[in-house]
Amino acid sequence: MKILVADDSKAMRMIVARTLRQAGFSGHEIVEAEDGAQALELVGEEEPDLVLSDWNMPEMTGIDFLHSLRRSGNEVPFCFVTSEGSEEMRETAEEAGAMGLITKPFTAERFSEVLSPVVRS
Amino acid sequence: MTAIDDLEDARQDLESLLLDVLNSTLGEEAFTTDEPLPPGPIATSRLSIHDEVEDAYLGIEVRVGAVLARLLASKMMAAGDPTPDDLLDAVGELGNIVGGNVKTLLYHTARLSLPMADLNAEIGQESEEDLHGSLRIAASAFGQTAQVTLTPDAPVDGLYWPPSQEDEALEKQL
Repeated sequence: MKILVADDSKAMRMIVARTLRQAGFSGHEIVEAEDGAQALELVGEEEPDLVLSDWNMPEMTGIDFLHSLRRSGNEVPFCFVTSEGSEEMRETAEEAGAMGLITKPFTAERFSEVLSPVVRS
Repeated sequence: MTAIDDLEDARQDLESLLLDVLNSTLGEEAFTTDEPLPPGPIATSRLSIHDEVEDAYLGIEVRVGAVLARLLASKMMAAGDPTPDDLLDAVGELGNIVGGNVKTLLYHTARLSLPMADLNAEIGQESEEDLHGSLRIAASAFGQTAQVTLTPDAPVDGLYWPPSQEDEALEKQL
């Protein structure tokens, strides 16, 4: 599988990739983006099987990135990995077509719980 | 929800939040502390929450000493010798995680700015009066102190707010 990780923090992109491995999801190709606009471009070029995206990013936020994807007819599984986890944001994410929202700080167990339906171990 | 009394009421939850964040990012058990920051360079991550209902701002500043900044970057990036850019990134992200969790704890409808990190913040001597109207909590991990200061109505100069397509649509109408 190819997994696109979008976050404006390099440290967080590395932690997400590491946590995927710790959750038992090893051997997948990771593609990185620094914001929603770059991630949107990379979805077209790389055709990932899963997107893990931060919410608050410069240039384009994660929710605007997801709206743009769905408006273009792209239904790639999409999960937020963000420091904010209010009920309002969870509802907004779900309504926009996200499969889930993982809040930072997170654990490998939480990754496994949310991502198992779409990621091969 | 930005009055200082409201913040004081939430002090325990905020301390738990800081401990959780440090435990997770450093992989080391953190404890609440009254110890000050170490002497020497201080790294900061500054951001703000905009309460859209009350149109009020809550400033958040996370401070760590040089040793903890280095440990943080090493742990987060699995790097033995993190660069200054790595330190900025790691300290900024620490602020982002703290800020996002504070927002989730205290607000319903609000926006979080992006963090602005600085590795050599000028921190002068602070008196109790300087902290009047702010809430400060602190925790220690690896024997190093991390401070979080929450200040209602703190200046938001220099902070960057994530764009939203709603903003752009509004600008086009104007």
